[in-house]
Amino acid sequence: MSELVFGSKMMQLLIALILVSTFMILGSTRLYSCIRAFGIQSFLLAGVAGVVAYSTGRMDIYIVALLTLVLKAAVIPYIFIYIIREIKVKREIDLYVNISPSLIIGGVLVVISYYLVRSINIRTELSSFALSASISLVSIGLFIMISRKKAIMQMLGILLMENGLFLGAISLTYGMPLLVELGIFFDVLIGVLIMGILIFRINRTFESIDTDMLKTLIG
Amino acid sequence: MIEYLLLAPVLTAVSCFFAKTRKQVEAVSLTGSVATLLLGLSLVVEVYRHDIIITWQNSLFADAFSAFIVLIVSIVGFVASMYSIGYMGHELEHKTIDMKRLKMYYVLFHSFMFTMLLVGVTNNLGLWIAIEMTTLVSALLMILYSKKSSVEAAWKYMIICTVGITFALFGTILTYYASVKILGETGEALNWTSLLAVADQFDPTIMKLAFIFILIGYGTKAGLAPMHTWLPDAHSEAPTPVSALLSGVLLNCAMYGIIRFYTIATKSTGIEFGSNLLIVFGLLSIGIAVPFILLQEDYKRLLAYSSVEHIGIIALGIGFGGVFGIFGAILHMFNHAMTKSFMFFGAGNVLQKHETKEIDKVSGVVKSMPATGTMLVIGGLAITGSPPFSIFISEFTILAAGFSGGHIIASVLFLLFIIMIFAGFFYHISRMAFGVPKPEIKTGDASRWMLGAMGILAVFVLVLGVYIPPYFYEMLMKVVEVVR
Repeated sequence: MSELVFGSKMMQLLIALILVSTFMILGSTRLYSCIRAFGIQSFLLAGVAGVVAYSTGRMDIYIVALLTLVLKAAVIPYIFIYIIREIKVKREIDLYVNISPSLIIGGVLVVISYYLVRSINIRTELSSFALSASISLVSIGLFIMISRKKAIMQMLGILLMENGLFLGAISLTYGMPLLVELGIFFDVLIGVLIMGILIFRINRTFESIDTDMLKTLIG
Repeated sequence: MIEYLLLAPVLTAVSCFFAKTRKQVEAVSLTGSVATLLLGLSLVVEVYRHDIIITWQNSLFADAFSAFIVLIVSIVGFVASMYSIGYMGHELEHKTIDMKRLKMYYVLFHSFMFTMLLVGVTNNLGLWIAIEMTTLVSALLMILYSKKSSVEAAWKYMIICTVGITFALFGTILTYYASVKILGETGEALNWTSLLAVADQFDPTIMKLAFIFILIGYGTKAGLAPMHTWLPDAHSEAPTPVSALLSGVLLNCAMYGIIRFYTIATKSTGIEFGSNLLIVFGLLSIGIAVPFILLQEDYKRLLAYSSVEHIGIIALGIGFGGVFGIFGAILHMFNHAMTKSFMFFGAGNVLQKHETKEIDKVSGVVKSMPATGTMLVIGGLAITGSPPFSIFISEFTILAAGFSGGHIIASVLFLLFIIMIFAGFFYHISRMAFGVPKPEIKTGDASRWMLGAMGILAVFVLVLGVYIPPYFYEMLMKVVEVVR
């Protein structure tokens, strides 16, 4: 059964597309396109979970795939768009690191992740390609958090890392037990809502959501 | 049993939401926290009798270590809710917050209690979920005041801790991967009770990797240096009763996560690997706190940095290992929780009177607020580890474990750091406590609720320094057995 997943062309394609969507986020200065790319990525992720569910025939993975589709590909992007509309933020992202160096750094991070996974020599259920893609996602998510000025982009960075871990869990063990997986979804959803509240609060107190402003507490 | 314990704070939070007046909400909150305390204590007794309780299809459990965490959460939670009546009441009277915010505060306070209790009794690596939930709830508590600094602190806290906890999730996934190979893909493969039995067969390479991720992840939440950067902001900007819960209890909950994984990881990787990591991170945390304590200008931040130091000491104790090291660390968790909450309450009294957090602008507290001032001095001596207070005993035990375990350099550094911290910390406290009060400050102490809460904690601070009751000692030994 699992051999279908192993060499599956479909899987390789989906994972490659997930990486492409990550670079769409890295390469864009418009908030909406970043959100759209995140939505596409989550959709592809749900696809990965769906393929795994189909080839293993396990009900719980179907549920996880469905939840990913509903929550990460629809609800969370919608929350983002709601926030952007409500606080009437400038639609352009200010960057600490420009687009072209960002893309190069992203590429370097992918290569590093690939070698990292080969060197630790973990045998995964899917392929080591999936695990290295997952580690790339985590590191690019971190990079986005530190290189973009808007608080919204830090939120997106965290979600990108979370997507990366989801892919990691799927590629290592076909995902966590259902109970844990449900708990993680719950936390992610509540986390997004609370970060949204915080962004509203930041906007109201500082009249901007640039994290440049948040530099008074030191020492 | 465990279900009721978890139900109590939830019910209290819900009833606080529906309460109408200030009197009602305070009464509900206090009753709820008394109920939580009593249920917590009876859980401790139950565990004391049966060693381990498992319910709810193996998803909830309590052994000696969980019971110990539950004990800390429910005691500090109870005194903090007592203190809240005085403190938040004062904020309401001075129009810092309105009635709606006050209700919100109590609802969140008890939800926070629930998440922390959940950390202790989850029989699952899904502990991660509970720890993430504590971050979410407490971030909301921090933005209770719409000040710029609190919003900034809450955002930093939220972002840094969520990223940290994401690493912990990766560590959890790796552990699950290691355990699935042995146990097969069942829900059981993440349960402590089933993991412990087979932990020695896990792949050491993967467990090493997993432990590093867990240590960085939960270490961020526990405030281990160099991931502690959010801690002084968050702990100093939160409302004082919440600061006490954050410093005294939440840090312990994160440490609990690390120690649980340490127990599992060392079974396959050998004791050396995890211990060395904990010693390094522990010493780093104590060391980093030194300059920030010496040169501190804000007394709530002073206490926050002291928490970084004490979490470092707990990590160090576990790292030194052996019965003494672990016993010292566990006892230190309890002592630090009590003493640090005690200190934060004292700082809260001073803050409401002087309306500034700057050490320079406060003086003569002993004269203007006799009870608070005296307790501040006692607390200052206690938290820096001077005899005959409780922290002295636990720090001394850890130090003894270090020397006898052959960690000479680490122990000497530890001793050096805590001497410097003693000097710096007590210098700041004495500047605040002694001298002549500022002319505009009228004599008069904080409300009875606040002093009463401090009085309860003072008992622990004073008594545990000279006498450890036999049943408490036995309980600590049981925890040590679980951790080893």
